Amino acid sequence: MDRLQYSALMIACLLLTLPLEFVFGARVWRQPKRLVRSVVPVALFFLVWDLWATNRGDWGFNPKYTIGWKFPGGMVVEEILFFVAVPVCALLTLEAVRNMLAGTTPLQRWVRSR
Amino acid sequence: MPIYPALAVAAAVVVIALELLYFRSGILRSRAYWLSMAIVVGFMILVDGWLTKLSAPIVFYNDANTSGIRPVWDILIEEYAFAFALLTMVILLWDRSAPAVADKAASS
Repeated sequence: MDRLQYSALMIACLLLTLPLEFVFGARVWRQPKRLVRSVVPVALFFLVWDLWATNRGDWGFNPKYTIGWKFPGGMVVEEILFFVAVPVCALLTLEAVRNMLAGTTPLQRWVRSR
Repeated sequence: MPIYPALAVAAAVVVIALELLYFRSGILRSRAYWLSMAIVVGFMILVDGWLTKLSAPIVFYNDANTSGIRPVWDILIEEYAFAFALLTMVILLWDRSAPAVADKAASS
């Protein structure tokens, strides 16, 4: 089970930020094309950096906490999950904050309607 | 300077330059951006702290190639520049492809 630590942490991030999509009306997951266009190019750039730096030995991944699927050079597949999950969490936060400041979250509307 | 902090700072500088010279979204002057960044850093400390803690690291570094400065929960200081570059770049692309109706909300 320990080998799932890295992937489970990333999935936990996605699950814990999911309410932002609905309770705070973030509308990030509901714009899949826009999401792909913003996350994928940046993720690809950082993954190339990651492949290179892992190959050089700048950093590495603990076999105890990763499932063991690796790219040549040693980068683990969990890194792909990282460069998708972390930006999605940040976009959800940004859109939730924008809606909060504008007073337009479903939560605020519900509170006002009572 | 060791390579990881040098590249992380370079990435952050490139993203700031892209915003100032190309995107000109004004995001770096927006309250919503800095407020979300503050929240994101809070959660980053939990997640990155878990990933890089020296007691049982999931991700480990070659000490010769890092700053070795780990002020909070063993997180290398250059990780903050790395995160800034990653997330700000994604946000710049996200805002650029905002649908017309969302423009008003995006400028808050």
